[in-house]
Amino acid sequence: MNNKERGSIYAGIDIGSITAKAALIKDNRLLATHVILTGYDPINAGIKVFEALLKKAKISKKDVPAIVSTGYGRASVSFADKALTEIICHGTGAYFINPEIRGIIDVGGQDSKAILLNAKGQVENFAMNDKCAAGTGRFLEVMAKALEVELNQLGDFGLNADKPLKISSICTVFAESEVISMIAGQQKRENIIAGIHDSAAARVAILANKIKIKKPVMMTGGVAKNKGMVAALEKRLGLTLIVKDFAQENGAIGAAVLASKL
Amino acid sequence: MKEINIFCDAIKDVSIIASKIKARPKKIIGYLCSYAPEELIYAAGFHPMRLFSSKSEIMMAEQHLQAYCCSLVRGVLEDSLSGRLSFLDGTVFPHTCDSIQRLSDIWRMNGKYEFFADVVLPAKLNTQSARTYMTDVLNKFKQALEIAAERKITNTDLWESIKKFNFIRKNLSKIYALQSQKPGIIKGADLFAIVKGSMVMDPDEVGQLLPVIVANLEKIDVPKKNVKRIVVSGSICDSPDIYTALEAAGGIIVGDDLCTGQRWFEGEIPDDENPINAIAARLLDRMICPAKHASPTARGENLVSLAKKNNAHGVIFMLVKFCDPHAFDYPYLKEAIEKEGIKTLLIEMDDQQQNSGQLATRFETFIQMI
Repeated sequence: MNNKERGSIYAGIDIGSITAKAALIKDNRLLATHVILTGYDPINAGIKVFEALLKKAKISKKDVPAIVSTGYGRASVSFADKALTEIICHGTGAYFINPEIRGIIDVGGQDSKAILLNAKGQVENFAMNDKCAAGTGRFLEVMAKALEVELNQLGDFGLNADKPLKISSICTVFAESEVISMIAGQQKRENIIAGIHDSAAARVAILANKIKIKKPVMMTGGVAKNKGMVAALEKRLGLTLIVKDFAQENGAIGAAVLASKL
Repeated sequence: MKEINIFCDAIKDVSIIASKIKARPKKIIGYLCSYAPEELIYAAGFHPMRLFSSKSEIMMAEQHLQAYCCSLVRGVLEDSLSGRLSFLDGTVFPHTCDSIQRLSDIWRMNGKYEFFADVVLPAKLNTQSARTYMTDVLNKFKQALEIAAERKITNTDLWESIKKFNFIRKNLSKIYALQSQKPGIIKGADLFAIVKGSMVMDPDEVGQLLPVIVANLEKIDVPKKNVKRIVVSGSICDSPDIYTALEAAGGIIVGDDLCTGQRWFEGEIPDDENPINAIAARLLDRMICPAKHASPTARGENLVSLAKKNNAHGVIFMLVKFCDPHAFDYPYLKEAIEKEGIKTLLIEMDDQQQNSGQLATRFETFIQMI
């Protein structure tokens, strides 16, 4: 690898509440990504995810001239050149993947956001959930645990519902006890899960409606991997959501793109 | 600056300020709203002190108030019931929002303070009858204070008091104007401390400190930086961390219409033959609160002019959760500001719960956006 090529690799690190993501871009193309669990130490998570990513891409730290950190733990990445919010980075990431995108729904571990982009890919407006886990990945995690379903299987279960149930509580804690009552009432797991997805989707749809989301809309964040949740959101919003392979890493990809512009 | 530090230290513990005032001896009358006629309280020989929400957990107030009451009302009641406001000799409740009025009822029945008054101000402020009514209400309040003070309040007492508060208002306005001319000349948290301190400390001391701060700030120059000029709209803000978080994100507050900010100190009491008429005139003519009415668009026009005058890049609506009057006005205010091409952000706050991570994300994104 010559120096010129080395100079064109940029990194983005997204420290989320549940997972830490890192991405590398080279010559304006995605080179590699990596995801680990954040755990209780966001500082260490930043170091670990970056080291693992460098190893994956077979490069060393000196090959990366600029790093941007993002996510709730963005300030704990001391080796980053700049910290930017995940809203800015998800906007940039989505625009990098598809410059047609005007709306983004990002559902992560503890936050859900709806973002509007202008034709230049800049954030025009945004709405964010308000210190409550309803409509976030954490809500789904709590429910998966109550139902003894692996988190990554939740989506498929939800899609196989024949008669989706309705969860009326907004609060995660109350919703969990509602789900437990449904389990005790011997309701089909698939139907309960479909109800859970719809309940979470309803919270996220409020954010999207608040900013009058514009099509085409991309869904990003870890929860985009849950097909049942994507379907529930599409139904609530009455539109098709674009979900790409690296939806979870989208914030880190955006951060890497922004690093290339530093 | 030494004078600013005095304000910062003082607001750390209001009970220390209170004990110094009581040692004089002087009685303390608390109030929750910027429509409280402080000049009258002071002229009666009492110390008017603004009350803020509790920073402690709400436990006892829960027995009296519903969960949908704002954190100010719940917090002040909590402090009162748990004895943290035992330095108060009395309280005055100007007629404003429903929650404060109902708090007034609970207070009257549960408070252990010597003096209590409801000052039932007019709701509609832009009529001649409102002017007459306001004067009558203030006269009635004056009589109540005279009974409590066991002495007459003379016109000389009133004019002396008016002069004192006008002087504080003029100097606070100067500090705000300097921050707007030279953004960053004073840290947001310091500005917060000065304004809050002016609402709780001895007006004589405040009157001595403020002109020194103004003179010092006039001499200082700040390097021109690329900062975003922000105007804040809302009711109360009792958290210096909000100013600090906004500054960390690259924004500087250059103006506000807060009840604990410019709305409280804006406009001086005019010269008039009758001091009560003069006090009434200021209360009627200053920036209005959403619980009052001047015209259907008064608040919008005021906010637009405030934003334009200060060349604001953005307006942040800082609303206290469950504050209905402000929430009711928000859509039209947002529309009025956005029509001028100025972007807005809505933050809902609660005095007892603050999520600094989410707040930083919102502020940083908004600053980048504008």
